Amino acid sequence: MHDPLKEAFGQIHAEAELKEHTLTYLREKTGNYAQARSFPYRPVLSMAACLLLVLCLGLWRAYFTPVSVISIDINPSLELEINRFDRVLSVEGYNEDGQALADSLDLRFLSYQDALEQVLASEMVTDCLARDEFLSIAVADDNTQRQETILSTVRACTAQHQNSHCYAADRTDLDAAHEAGLSYGKYQAFLELQALDPEVTPQDVQQMTMREIRERIAALSGAAAGQTPDTSPDQTPGQGYGQGNGQGYGQGSAQGNGQGYGQGSAQGNGQGYGQDSGQGYGYHHGQGYGHE
Amino acid sequence: MRSEEDASRAIERYSDTVRRLCMIHLKNYADTEDIFQTVFLKYVLSSVSFESEEHEKAWIIRVTINACKDLLKSFFRSRTVSLEQLLDQPAPLAPEHREVLEAVLALPPKYKDVVYLHYYEGYTAPEIGRILGKNVNSVYTLLTRARQLLRETLGGDAGA
Repeated sequence: MHDPLKEAFGQIHAEAELKEHTLTYLREKTGNYAQARSFPYRPVLSMAACLLLVLCLGLWRAYFTPVSVISIDINPSLELEINRFDRVLSVEGYNEDGQALADSLDLRFLSYQDALEQVLASEMVTDCLARDEFLSIAVADDNTQRQETILSTVRACTAQHQNSHCYAADRTDLDAAHEAGLSYGKYQAFLELQALDPEVTPQDVQQMTMREIRERIAALSGAAAGQTPDTSPDQTPGQGYGQGNGQGYGQGSAQGNGQGYGQGSAQGNGQGYGQDSGQGYGYHHGQGYGHE
Repeated sequence: MRSEEDASRAIERYSDTVRRLCMIHLKNYADTEDIFQTVFLKYVLSSVSFESEEHEKAWIIRVTINACKDLLKSFFRSRTVSLEQLLDQPAPLAPEHREVLEAVLALPPKYKDVVYLHYYEGYTAPEIGRILGKNVNSVYTLLTRARQLLRETLGGDAGA
């Protein structure tokens, strides 16, 4: 079998044509064997790939690093984190309403202006605004210029809402606010309130609407103001309060309040301010009871 | 990269080997041409320095077999081309050669390489084992079985 096999295989030869084709092909493929590898494609390509990767990573980081925070507080407390390309990175609710609102809207990667418009147009917020709640928007950013820009945009967005207050905030307070479990806007209000009433805790504030907080602040500062002229509380408490309120607030609703409280305090004792304040009108109705 | 002289020398020297390997694996001329191009381009571009001609030849054989397997794997090709069609490709053969080749080609694929390398190229089993990356004993087994199969098809006259 050795020989026939060998013979048979020996009959097979590569055709001249085949060899010729192969040689031509090789000549073409190798650029006539002259393809001096002068240009180091491999290292250059890999360098370029590395650079691209680094660039992508950098961009990725830049995109996903929040640089400013917009804190929206009515009753729902929301915080929008904005990256340097003015896109919303995350929406976080700082109380139940806020969480519900954050869940109901899909704001990620929208521009903050669109996001803000969506928030303000949402049912929950329009309801609150219709109830004359107080809208507070704080903008925190390290870069003052950007902060100004964002702030002016935000102001333009909220121009139609009367009870709104937009202000620039300081980023350093932000962490403290988050530690307390509050959004920035609320935290500012909380600090203000705490200065007047040291017993207030963040948990109390969390569930209050911004208007309630404002009211309490106003009331407490009003009470502080009303206390000083109050020289003879023993004999005629009713009068004393009436005057105190009238003078202290002096604007619009102050007169009506003056009467209401006059009666209230004359009949009962001076401890019922929680109830009364629930019905109050403006921000500046007095609760200066309880100082008998 | 090797020079054109190297390339044509290699083609002169090894094209028959490559051609035969192609013949036992592939079924048409176009594929054979593909394999030629692949193998010799690889040769030209490779920077392997060969210790000897034997080394070079073994390298070519190895590359050719791999290229054939790759081609068979990569193409979803029908394997039903008849042997007649296949044997039309090389120069017309004498009837007895044709019979022998047909018998070899009819072997299961795993036997063909060893049969060719052993009977035609004259490699020993350990050498074949090195070239094909197989255990020496498996090569012996493959050879024995191939011999049996060939004896069955070609009749008892063929003694190794």
